[in-house]
Amino acid sequence: MDLAGLRKSNIHLKILRFFHENQASIDTPRGVATWIGEDRLKVKRALEDLVKLQILIAHRTTSTTGYSYTRDAKLISKIAKILEQSKPS
Amino acid sequence: MENTKNHAYQKELFDRLRKSQSLKRAEECFARVIKGASWWLLEKRKPSLQDVEEVICRKCPLEKGLQRRKIKKCAKNILGVITRAAEEKTIIKFDCEEGLHGFVSAIAQADKIYGYVGGCYRKKDISTQILQIFSAFLDTIIKEAQKEMELSKLYETLRPRAIALSTVHTVHRLISSTLDFNELLPRIARLSLQIMRAQRCSIKLVDSKRKVLLPKVTVDLRQKNIRLKKVRVGRWAPGKAVKFGRPIRGRDYLATPLIDEDVIGVITLYDKLDKKPFTTFDQEIMSTLAEQAVIAIKNAQLYKEQEKLTMGTIKSLAKVLDTRAPGTYIPRTSFVKIAMAIGQQMHMDEDELKSLEYASILHDAGEIFVPEEVLAKPAKLTGEEYEMVKEHPAAGVAIIKHMKALKSATPIILYHHENYDGSGYPKGLKKDMIPLGARIMAVVSAFEAMITKKPYRVAKTLGEATEEIKANAGTQFDPKVVEAFLKVLKKKDIRALLEKELYGPGRAA
Repeated sequence: MDLAGLRKSNIHLKILRFFHENQASIDTPRGVATWIGEDRLKVKRALEDLVKLQILIAHRTTSTTGYSYTRDAKLISKIAKILEQSKPS
Repeated sequence: MENTKNHAYQKELFDRLRKSQSLKRAEECFARVIKGASWWLLEKRKPSLQDVEEVICRKCPLEKGLQRRKIKKCAKNILGVITRAAEEKTIIKFDCEEGLHGFVSAIAQADKIYGYVGGCYRKKDISTQILQIFSAFLDTIIKEAQKEMELSKLYETLRPRAIALSTVHTVHRLISSTLDFNELLPRIARLSLQIMRAQRCSIKLVDSKRKVLLPKVTVDLRQKNIRLKKVRVGRWAPGKAVKFGRPIRGRDYLATPLIDEDVIGVITLYDKLDKKPFTTFDQEIMSTLAEQAVIAIKNAQLYKEQEKLTMGTIKSLAKVLDTRAPGTYIPRTSFVKIAMAIGQQMHMDEDELKSLEYASILHDAGEIFVPEEVLAKPAKLTGEEYEMVKEHPAAGVAIIKHMKALKSATPIILYHHENYDGSGYPKGLKKDMIPLGARIMAVVSAFEAMITKKPYRVAKTLGEATEEIKANAGTQFDPKVVEAFLKVLKKKDIRALLEKELYGPGRAA
């Protein structure tokens, strides 16, 4: 999956929107799933996709992984455009 | 300020009423009963004549044919009705200049009026009873819109706080999961940076004399080279935060003290990514995070002390055992390092490595129960003597079994003489049934025995011993462990340490 491909996935867009609106957030898959109202396992997979795209940072420990938003201003600006174009009706 | 708030509230209420599905349904429903009437919403508490003209009279189906003077007169009349509706807070019927019928009701709650809703341009009179029902309906719809607004406000206020709380909880989980001091502080710094969206984070701890803050970690996302500087207690923001025991906040910095029973250090953040100043909310979040960081730091410190104590006890025990036959029970540092390096090669976790380290030191402790003449016998052991030797792993476990910290090392000690093909002792375990630590210890222990000089035996060279280990891979030893062992032995630092310990400084095998 690439940045453009994110537009097609509702769950990826929901996660992006959550982190874009709450840029100081660090949360576990369970937490993110609660905030966006989606299945935890699907969220977990989507979070890892976003880590691969360097949109999210994974803070891994033996017991859990926390995910937080990128600090790259250019990437954040690209994401803002994607979210703007994919606004929920 | 209050006026601005009221205005914003009024505007939002009207936006909601305009979009309200309930109001649309009510309009449709009453439009069937009050045929011919058109509906309007007037957004002002005290509308002017012009407002009434624009919103009501200019939309009148007769407006095009009316003279300006007549429109003004009509608007004035309706404005009077609106004023009455505001005073009486009830629905009022009126007849306009052109003889059309209409009604107006104030959108009000208690003493507050937010605007007006009404209908107009009906040729027939409107039944008062129907208007009363409409009034009751309208009241419910307004209350519904207000409740929606309250809920929305509550959501907007609570959600960011709930997310912040969840973040703090996640951070707590992330920092509590490590007891390694060297890993913990950089992790706290990185997480703090992420939460505050800041550019630099520095963690300093108070020295034992409580005069200076010692820099422990600084993470700066803009610079590669960072100079760690000491800071006097009382100087600069970090020093002041420690001295006064409270956060010190400036536009571009936020120093939060780490308070246990006393102040133990400070986390300082600098320069937000968006260049905005640090806020009271940031301060609150950092104070909560600092409280959790203190717990994690104290736990890591206690763990480190406990570890030192355990290692001290193990070394003391080995020293006591060693007094019987010096050089027999205390392995050289290089062998412990080889065992640990093999463990790392085989992806053992921190706890497993710790157990391996303990077992490396004490694996032959049980030999203290084997008579010295048996251990030192240069000839082949008799059956009875061999049985005595076979008891030493269990005897070693018996020595340490009362030390809880060493419990995880007992399987390594007990099974380090098991052979990969099942021909070892005490249980004749095979392959993966033998704990990994014990399989590693079997190789290291055999290697140690071969290359160490003993009064009763000539030591093998490193090359000879390595060849013998290789030759026994798959029978006596786990081939994977042997493979890792060979890799480890090629490491320059380990090789140098081994040669130095075996042959003295500057002499190779």
